[in-house]
Amino acid sequence: MLYREAGQFKSTYAEDMQIFPIRQDRIGVILLLAVAFLVVPFVATQYWFSALLIPFLVLSLATLGLNILTGYAGQISLGTAAFMAVGAFMAYNAELRIPGMPLLGSFIIGGLCAAAVGVVFGLPSLRIKGFYLAVATLACQFFVLWAINRVGWFTNYSSSGVISAQKMVILGYTFDTPASKYVLTLSIVVVLALLAKNLMRSETGRAFMAVRDMDVAAEVIGIPMMKTKLLAFAISSFYCGVAGALYAYCYLGTVEPEAFVLDLSFRVLFMVIIGGVGSIMGSFVGAAFITLLPIFLNLATEVIANTFDIEISHAVVSNAELMIFGGLIIFFLIVEPNGLARLWQIAKEKLRLWPFPH
Amino acid sequence: MSIALHQHPRAHPIGEVLLAVENVSLSFGGVKALSDISFDVREHEIRAIIGPNGAGKSSMLNVLNGVYHPQKGTIRLRGKSFSDMVSHEAAAMGIARTFQNIALFKGMTVLDNILTGRNLKMRSNFLQQALWWGPARREELAHRHAVEEVIDFLEIQHIRKTPVGRLPYGLQKRVELARALAAEPTILLLDEPMAGMNLEEKQDMCRFVLDVNDHYGTTIVLIEHDMGVVMDISDRVVVLDYGRKIGDGTPDDVRANQAVIDAYLGVTH
Amino acid sequence: MTFFIEVLAGGLLAGVMYSLVALGFVLIYKASGVFNFAQGAMVFLAALTFVSLLEMGWNFWLALLVTLVVMVGVGVLTERIVLRPLVNQPPITLFMATIGLTFVLEGLSQMVWGSQPHGLELGIADVPMEWLSEKWNINISKFDLFAAAVAGVLVASLAVFFQKTRIGRALRAVADDHQAALAVGISLQHIWAIVWAVAGFVALVAGMMWGVRNGVQYALTFTALKALPVLILGGFESVPGAIIGGLIIGASEKVAEVYLGPYVGGGIESWFAYVIALVFLLVRPQGLFGEKIIDRV
Repeated sequence: MLYREAGQFKSTYAEDMQIFPIRQDRIGVILLLAVAFLVVPFVATQYWFSALLIPFLVLSLATLGLNILTGYAGQISLGTAAFMAVGAFMAYNAELRIPGMPLLGSFIIGGLCAAAVGVVFGLPSLRIKGFYLAVATLACQFFVLWAINRVGWFTNYSSSGVISAQKMVILGYTFDTPASKYVLTLSIVVVLALLAKNLMRSETGRAFMAVRDMDVAAEVIGIPMMKTKLLAFAISSFYCGVAGALYAYCYLGTVEPEAFVLDLSFRVLFMVIIGGVGSIMGSFVGAAFITLLPIFLNLATEVIANTFDIEISHAVVSNAELMIFGGLIIFFLIVEPNGLARLWQIAKEKLRLWPFPH
Repeated sequence: MSIALHQHPRAHPIGEVLLAVENVSLSFGGVKALSDISFDVREHEIRAIIGPNGAGKSSMLNVLNGVYHPQKGTIRLRGKSFSDMVSHEAAAMGIARTFQNIALFKGMTVLDNILTGRNLKMRSNFLQQALWWGPARREELAHRHAVEEVIDFLEIQHIRKTPVGRLPYGLQKRVELARALAAEPTILLLDEPMAGMNLEEKQDMCRFVLDVNDHYGTTIVLIEHDMGVVMDISDRVVVLDYGRKIGDGTPDDVRANQAVIDAYLGVTH
Repeated sequence: MTFFIEVLAGGLLAGVMYSLVALGFVLIYKASGVFNFAQGAMVFLAALTFVSLLEMGWNFWLALLVTLVVMVGVGVLTERIVLRPLVNQPPITLFMATIGLTFVLEGLSQMVWGSQPHGLELGIADVPMEWLSEKWNINISKFDLFAAAVAGVLVASLAVFFQKTRIGRALRAVADDHQAALAVGISLQHIWAIVWAVAGFVALVAGMMWGVRNGVQYALTFTALKALPVLILGGFESVPGAIIGGLIIGASEKVAEVYLGPYVGGGIESWFAYVIALVFLLVRPQGLFGEKIIDRV
């Protein structure tokens, strides 16, 4: 009864094509943003910011990036972490080498460089499909990390390879507290998510989905395959690149190749699948789930150890975590292969009818 | 019957040759699909390609819009020849089509599917679209308008927000026609538009094909198995058999053609 | 020149080791269309189980048998718990499930057997053959030749299994067309369980070979990453492709490492194989043994 569109008549196409056509959705999003911007910064603890909220937001952005490529344009990629690494290192170098470079400018340069790398490694997608392409994107993952490790310029010839990120200053304000880093990350993520939402509901998004659903038909309609696929790689990599820069600056505080290993690519892919392929909101839900899972598992083992008064060795815990993590992924795929976003959609459909069954 | 349907004067009388197929041959690794086919299509006419199974009808259609590339021969559109175009270039030249096995974008709504048909007409770049601002927004609205006209024309208003995967077969065929029409094509290629339909759906589809021709003046090339339908709605018919042309003319000519009768009755060659 | 031959031979023999892992992928992909990312974890599990049993003082053959039983069990359970509920899901979903399976198997192996590395001895020393070194000045390890022989025997016995036995015929039928195989009364579940068990056996062989070479440790799971370029080169569905692809990748990787590596700072083996496979695919998208696909519309 509460959530229904009945009575909300649209009399123009403009009204019908709003970003959130249903009033309750609009109110919900505004409330959520208000809480995230105005309440959370004042109530959350340091731990919440640095261990939960910031990684959640950053990984949401990376997931969103991969979702544009995999979920919307249908091209599987296992190279997400590489694009993130390009973003992080190029943002670092832009900040380091270009005098007077504003921080956001560096982030954008990081994103653009990632986009360029994305286009290069997207070229094989014009000839090969499916798993062959997925494996080909692994080439990107290994090559980029190798290059960053080998070419001293990227790390500014640091001997350890681990560099601390520069201070983040925008218009004279230094973002050094966890809360301020959270607000910065949140702002960037919200803006980019809105842009992505707009893009996916216009011509570009439809072209992506057309290529995903049936490429021969898309080409016959006049959608140029090369431009569309490469644009998908570019936009997706841009998002991953910015996410990589945020990962280094706002979450880790360091810029290091070790942060961007294949494991991260897989984690982001999981977030896409569990959240929902081809859903902007799903990207956030998936990222939240995978970020919270290990923390939740840790808590659970602590509780178990305390209640039964047994010593659980660290190795057992980490192996059990690995197994539960894998098991849950399989479980999710079996129960809801379309991801949590689909569950949300079903819930919405039910809510619309509630309290009646049909 | 064909006379009866076109009794009233046509809004768009049949004009000059629009599309000419000249000596086209196509083979797949030694298997000849088409050999030395020539025929033409005149402006505003409804042209049918018929023939038994495996005659090369679909291959012919695929050649017309650049999905397959013939090894020999040329295709002329308004006198301009091209032999090696890719399908999105064909689309840019005003050739739209539907497929035998529906090729809709399953994950998208009816509205979005039809909007993809207008993709070629969109001019705003992705940055403007991301901002949903100025030209991009105006353009989306204008194209929505145009698409709604097609939706009204084909009477599918009630399903515009339904994902196409959930629609019954007959409606999917209609949505596919809508997507092709949204591109405002000069030439519309229809690959078995009535295949697998019941009588009522066939009648609807016939009506739509004739209406499209009448209302928009679109030149239509169609492949169809149902002889009754073909003879009723088309102006001229090409008959293929084993990749060769064995007949070409008005429905009445073709009906009287001995080679065509033999091909359909299975006289051995 | 002798140095080049030595490098080339070393590369070819290393390629055989890649092929061993790639074979496991191909078997499963052919029969069930699943890109089994967990193959590397299966190699790890097999090698770790085997070596741990040996270290507990078990007889070689008994350890081998028990490990085989474990691998067959893993295969059957995977079919039952993971694959069966996911029938008819898109390939990407199945692929994701096998990544999940990778985590489960890695966690399981280390939980049961611990995570410390083990050495493995099969009685064949991993040292250059003396007569070759003396006569031609070429250093080729005896163990490499042994591994190549094992791979040969493995492929031959798989070929016999596929061509001559009733189960083999059923397997090929399933690989060709799931629906048609079902229609003639072949039980898909049965066949998948068998294929996973065979893949488990192949993983055991690969694990033993790699275990002798590099020790049995967590890094064994990365052998999967080594096998992937072999797969895109040789094709996911081709057993000969896995062998030839492995040889090509092994040889070119080694040659490049020796002759090209010094100019770019070394360490190129992490990505060079992928680049070879990619360049090859761009020229010939259907892979080494695939047929050209004509898109029908």
